[in-house]
Amino acid sequence: MKKITSVLLASALLGAALAGCGGNNNKAADPANTGTAPNTANSGSAETPKVGVAIYKFDDTFMTGVRNAIDAAAKGIATVDIVDSQNSQPTQNDKVDLFITKKYNGMLINPVDRTAAGVIIDKAKTANIPVVFLNREPLPEDMKKWDKVYYVGAKAEESGTMSGQLIVDYWKAHPEADKNGDGVLQYVMLKGEPGHQDAELRTTYSIQAIEDAGIKVEKLAEDTAMWDRVKGQEKMAAFLGSHGDKIEAVLANNDDMALGAIEALKAQGYFSGDKYMPVVGVDATAPAVQALQDGTMLGTVLNDANNQGKAAITLAALLAKGETPTKENVGFDITDNQFVWISYKKITKDNVADAK
Amino acid sequence: MTIKRAQSFVTQNAIYIVLILLIMGIIIYEPSFMSINTLRDVLIQSSTRVIIALGVAFILITAGTDLSAGRVVGFTAVISASMLQIPDYSRRFFPDLPQVQVWLPILIAIVAGLLCGLVNGIIVSKLNVPPFIATLGTMLIVYGLNSLYFDMDPNQSQPIGGLRPDFTNIGSGFIGSGQYSIPYIVLIALGVAAIVWVLFNKTKLGKNMYAIGGNMQAAKVSGINVSKNLIYIYAIAGALYGLAGVLEAARTGGATNNYGNMYELDAIAACVVGGVSTTGGIGTVPGVLVGVIIFTLINYGLTFIGISPYYQLIIKGLIIIAAVSFDMRKYSSKK
Repeated sequence: MKKITSVLLASALLGAALAGCGGNNNKAADPANTGTAPNTANSGSAETPKVGVAIYKFDDTFMTGVRNAIDAAAKGIATVDIVDSQNSQPTQNDKVDLFITKKYNGMLINPVDRTAAGVIIDKAKTANIPVVFLNREPLPEDMKKWDKVYYVGAKAEESGTMSGQLIVDYWKAHPEADKNGDGVLQYVMLKGEPGHQDAELRTTYSIQAIEDAGIKVEKLAEDTAMWDRVKGQEKMAAFLGSHGDKIEAVLANNDDMALGAIEALKAQGYFSGDKYMPVVGVDATAPAVQALQDGTMLGTVLNDANNQGKAAITLAALLAKGETPTKENVGFDITDNQFVWISYKKITKDNVADAK
Repeated sequence: MTIKRAQSFVTQNAIYIVLILLIMGIIIYEPSFMSINTLRDVLIQSSTRVIIALGVAFILITAGTDLSAGRVVGFTAVISASMLQIPDYSRRFFPDLPQVQVWLPILIAIVAGLLCGLVNGIIVSKLNVPPFIATLGTMLIVYGLNSLYFDMDPNQSQPIGGLRPDFTNIGSGFIGSGQYSIPYIVLIALGVAAIVWVLFNKTKLGKNMYAIGGNMQAAKVSGINVSKNLIYIYAIAGALYGLAGVLEAARTGGATNNYGNMYELDAIAACVVGGVSTTGGIGTVPGVLVGVIIFTLINYGLTFIGISPYYQLIIKGLIIIAAVSFDMRKYSSKK
């Protein structure tokens, strides 16, 4: 009897799981389908080239924005097949093999690991399928392997520079920001994952931008909050415990940590009455935009997902059709014949609409 | 004789001695650490961790383990946040959802946690899958479900923000005023600890839990319905994770599908440091509270005095090993 119940249970569970998977599969394939079906319908001919798109991870916030932009911009110029590499380079290589087997005309790859681009370029060159890399820059020697390799992305250090400039603008416009009147900016830094390229670059370049503007700085504390809102809040609470009102500015490597810091500041009475703290982040996520409007966040830096997606798919479609990309037909400047750099944007309360 | 007594005192209370030494070390390094604000911050940051650790303690005492705890926390954080956004927020998860009573989404989230726990319990007790494997499986499934939910139109994996003030107030509000105010979240954690203490010590379920963890065969032979008790225990633990997830969202004013990542390991570490045996049958509520507070103190205190995060990891690892090795001595000396 017991055996029967457990067998029944096991099969029920498996059944439920399979049913669930069925649903999931449909859903997962959805972005690709919505990309494919209307596009072929739009063009009404076999003219639109087929472009295989591999994103490093579907549940990444920023890349989801880029993915949606690719999907939207592809209408009428390319038939896209967007796949998830599940944050695994071997999986992505399998997807690339699949694109090649399916004889797609072009590929748009957002590498999981930038050093793996070399192998993908070799494969693409052998199959003579042009490839555009997105958001994670291949090594310079890999870029030189073939002239039908392009890169679309932002310069990571620029996000740091701009977040530093946001603090500079505030400091210069508000003399009272120098709370102890010593002419030195005392700041705390919330870093992303240690060793992560963006975390290191943003930390270094944000402070350099402040120093370049002629402002002396003093670092009161720096710790990693792992890009995480919860940890940002906890670390900021500890910083406030040890340094209290000595802190004159908070720099965070991303918005989630900045928002966490703001929660910790609120708990200490900031942002009510005349108690204020300039807090800057990077990414311009929806909750950050809300915080800008509420006046709790000073500013953030927008990594322009829309233009990255648009530039990447336009470039990939042109290459797939065998045309030579120029500034005119791509709509963006091409540097060194292989690079399209998309600028970051500073976002404050005044231009918050740009980030929506 | 006195030396022996001193020795036994040290082994019996090793964990409290470690705690005191740690605080003293930090205070000597940075005297301003000794303040009401520090105490408040540590208690606030311990609150959700205590609730998760108590859930995990239930399961550890039955000689099980629960790897799905953190992901359930993340799932319930997202569920509650998704239904509790302000009406004029630009990116609402459910654009047309009316402003429901605040307790309703909280209840839904806690029930979701309870169901996750229930599934764990059924898999462990009815399908005889070892808890490590069963919860490893559900950890992946719950994260997958959460990510699907989080990726639904129109949210598409964007962080959920703009939470209602009546909800975030649960996480950041307090009774009283000034330095001596008590945050709600600390009171909630204390309330949960009291309820769990009663469950552990004053109920049949608690007695059965210790009996199952001490010796499952003996428990079976003496007429305890092991699988029924296990299902209850996993479900209660799941409900606790659910509550913790709700509080994480309320406390931070937002949620993403990555909330709760690896919390289960923090909770297990805090439990073992607090004297809960991973081989089952042993563990107390005060022990778990102390274990969690030790970990929060390490996190908070080491950040407070500005120690590099890499050293923080090493110190945490050493404390886990030291605490458990002291514990093993304690029990081997008893036998």
